[in-house]
Amino acid sequence: MKFTFAPESRPLDGYTIKRAIHRGGFGEVYYALSDAGKEVALKLLNNNLDVELRGVSQCLNLKHPNLVTIFDIRTDADNDHWVIMEFVNGRGLYETLQDYPNGMPLQEINFWLSGITAGLSFLHDRGIVHRDLKPANVFRDHGGVKVGDVGLSKYISESRRSAQTQSVGTVYYMAPEVAKGRYGLEVDVYAMGIMLFEMITGSVPFEGQTTAEILMKHLTADPDVERLPENLRPVLAAALEKDPEKRTHSVEELERQFCRAVAGADASSPVTLIGKMERPRPLEARRTEREVPQPAANLHSAAEPFAGTQASAAQPANGRPAVAYQANPQSPAAVMAAVAGLWNLLPMPLQWVLGGAAALLVIESGMIRPVAVGGMIGGVAYLGYQLIKTFMGEVSPPELSGERAFQAAQFAETQRERTPTNHNERDRHRDEASVAETFVPASKKTTGSRATAHRSAALRVYTPATIRKLSVTQRIADMSTSVSVSLAASALVTVAVFFTTNLLKDASEAVYFGAVTMMAAWGLIVPSKLWEGRRGDTVLRRVTLGAVGLGVGFLAAKLPEYLLIGSEDLFHGNGRQIVNVGRINVADGSGFPTSACFMIFFAALFVCRRWWWQADSFRKSRFRVSSALFTLIVGVVVTGMLQDFSFPDALGATWALAISAVVQLSAGWTPPEDRRLEPAPEPVPVQQPSTAAPNAEMA
Amino acid sequence: MNVSTLSQNSRNAGSREFRLPNLPFKSTNRESQTVSTSQCRKFMLWIDGVGAWQLCVGDSFIVGAPSFEKQSADIALLANVSRQHATVHRTGEEWRLDAHNRTSVSGKDVNESTVLCSGDEIRLAERVRLGFRIPSVLSTSAVIDFESDHRPSHSVDGIILLADHCLLGPKRDHHIFCANWPDLVVVYFKDGQLRCRSKMALTVDGTAVRDSAVLKHGAVVTAEDLRFRIEQME
Repeated sequence: MKFTFAPESRPLDGYTIKRAIHRGGFGEVYYALSDAGKEVALKLLNNNLDVELRGVSQCLNLKHPNLVTIFDIRTDADNDHWVIMEFVNGRGLYETLQDYPNGMPLQEINFWLSGITAGLSFLHDRGIVHRDLKPANVFRDHGGVKVGDVGLSKYISESRRSAQTQSVGTVYYMAPEVAKGRYGLEVDVYAMGIMLFEMITGSVPFEGQTTAEILMKHLTADPDVERLPENLRPVLAAALEKDPEKRTHSVEELERQFCRAVAGADASSPVTLIGKMERPRPLEARRTEREVPQPAANLHSAAEPFAGTQASAAQPANGRPAVAYQANPQSPAAVMAAVAGLWNLLPMPLQWVLGGAAALLVIESGMIRPVAVGGMIGGVAYLGYQLIKTFMGEVSPPELSGERAFQAAQFAETQRERTPTNHNERDRHRDEASVAETFVPASKKTTGSRATAHRSAALRVYTPATIRKLSVTQRIADMSTSVSVSLAASALVTVAVFFTTNLLKDASEAVYFGAVTMMAAWGLIVPSKLWEGRRGDTVLRRVTLGAVGLGVGFLAAKLPEYLLIGSEDLFHGNGRQIVNVGRINVADGSGFPTSACFMIFFAALFVCRRWWWQADSFRKSRFRVSSALFTLIVGVVVTGMLQDFSFPDALGATWALAISAVVQLSAGWTPPEDRRLEPAPEPVPVQQPSTAAPNAEMA
Repeated sequence: MNVSTLSQNSRNAGSREFRLPNLPFKSTNRESQTVSTSQCRKFMLWIDGVGAWQLCVGDSFIVGAPSFEKQSADIALLANVSRQHATVHRTGEEWRLDAHNRTSVSGKDVNESTVLCSGDEIRLAERVRLGFRIPSVLSTSAVIDFESDHRPSHSVDGIILLADHCLLGPKRDHHIFCANWPDLVVVYFKDGQLRCRSKMALTVDGTAVRDSAVLKHGAVVTAEDLRFRIEQME
């Protein structure tokens, strides 16, 4: 960052500049000391326009504890205007928001909201509209809140209209009627509403790559209040009303409504937790949520606090989405959600009857053990995942330099256009955005849109199906890491099985179980990592995995001989008849499974699941309980079918779950915000616009 | 009086205190015993876009209220504490705090002296809270953060107690976190002079730095995207 004035320079008589503080949207701000040692902030208004400063001078004598005091406005020898104002030492709302990427705790929001409201209502009471309210203008100072740039707004809006230096940061908070030149106090209510939305969810409601795109959204798009807790939706919807006449009429009213909506909530928890979030939402709500043409990652981050798995208050910088069950129509989780929704629609007595019948079925069919074991292993694996997540989060906070994120985002954008994907509504929307983006000179974008770039990089939805390039070294590194981690993961899972069940009688059996689990995991991870990011036929992949399963089954059958394990109690099955399929002896009537039986089990298990999704770096979260449980169900079904061939039911189901857990825990995973389509994104020259797009009117 | 006799004094004093644990601190008595001329050299770093940091070079640093008669404390806080409230000193890689007045470290009252670890909270006279941390594993240098609202008479973002290096750069484990800097700048003390070096092309007062450069009072260090100024404090 280059600043005009060097330290120790004295553009104004009596003040010595010590350092530059920052460059705002319309000028540089310096920290300076008066000759007597009073510290002040000097703001250089760099658009040397013939401005009507009389309007500003009316605000010069306003005094309020929640407003940054302006001491004076002076003109230097070059005829530049300087605003001399109170120096505020402390982190601003802008910086604080970056600490809470998933939303602030309630007490923090209350702190900011009450301070801003007090300052603004003082201004409004005197007939002054701030007009440029944004997080970068709000500061924390000695335990209070201070709103800055008061009274300069008229100047700013003048210069904004004439100058081309408008930064993207300011338009996030700009009310729609500003485009028509209307500046009532509703403008501040709107900005306040946007800031409140941002404090609650961690991101502004209208995002975009360009000024024009964001302005267009302010004018036309409805804010996605689905991301907010239920009881806050009407409050924010009213504050973000497009028509100033219908909008919440004052900031005080907005604060009152907010306080009423959150009354009684735990102040230290994220706001998204308050309200009726614990109750499973009905099916209809989910369905509409899915239909909202909006990136799912967004839903994801908003939904994160719902699950109550993370502690954003405790570790605010660690904002990795960790939710398993959001709105992907294909995922088994969505199916489960749908089932849960239907379940809730049933009348209470019927629920009891059905529940009892299901329980009876489980107990009678001898499935109780696999189900109980499954639950326990799932729990332990989830605990392990949480530990890994906490550990990883502490070691490497997801820090992304704005510029790099921007380049990556830009790259992804152009890449997307070249990548043949199914062109649904959402993609079309995004392509339009990238076309609009090309109209802005590159230099301007890189300076102005740090925050946007960071955000939008996280917004892109990449799934395991996304075609992407991976270098050979990357693949090898990923594969070898996954394989070595699987050693620890299978040990962990085996220990969990050993202690939570009496399936494994002694250490040698545990070693056997662990070894087979690990082999199976390797057999799944290695091909999955080879397929990662590539187009491929599902059937072919399943057949390949089936073949691998045969191999794993063979090893599993032969391993006890090498390990000298007495396999009697471990493998004891029920079947007593002899079954031959062709020449293959599937069951020999001894009550113990044959090699063929093992091979059938593993082959079936490997064929029935889309394992490469569980091992892909772009899977939804590192560990999804739903995936593991679904695999368990598959395992239960497969062993159930093999029961007649003396295949041990509990062991089979436990294996299925353990393998799923190990694969998910060990296979490399990229957090959504770090996902790239290319190994090393290089800056791409901005494309020349080929068609004239409708240029959104500027304010 | 050199540093070792100073700490000797305080240790003797402390052991007396230890025998009579219920006695409150007698600050006047105590101050006369522990008053010393500071060995510490102090600098201000004014960093554009980042903030103002005080750099203290030495082995022993007095924390207290500002004074105009005698030598002021090295970390002079506008707070209701005595002029020599505590001393932070370093022996090799170990940081210790000697309390000359009511002080606690991470909730434990300090009778005489205690070891300081990264992450400790130093509390002076009830209300003044300072954070102590050693952000970088590469360096013994410590950072004092102001956790309560008590600060020196001018806005300072933090105080660096320089042991070997002070790292200014874009990572959280650098002593001074400069979010937008492309790379790190190392400030260090050698042969009685403050010096700096970096992988980036630096200029000091307009002269390009080849390997490292001396930072004199008033030196302005610039690179592509950064600028800071060093000032020696009296």
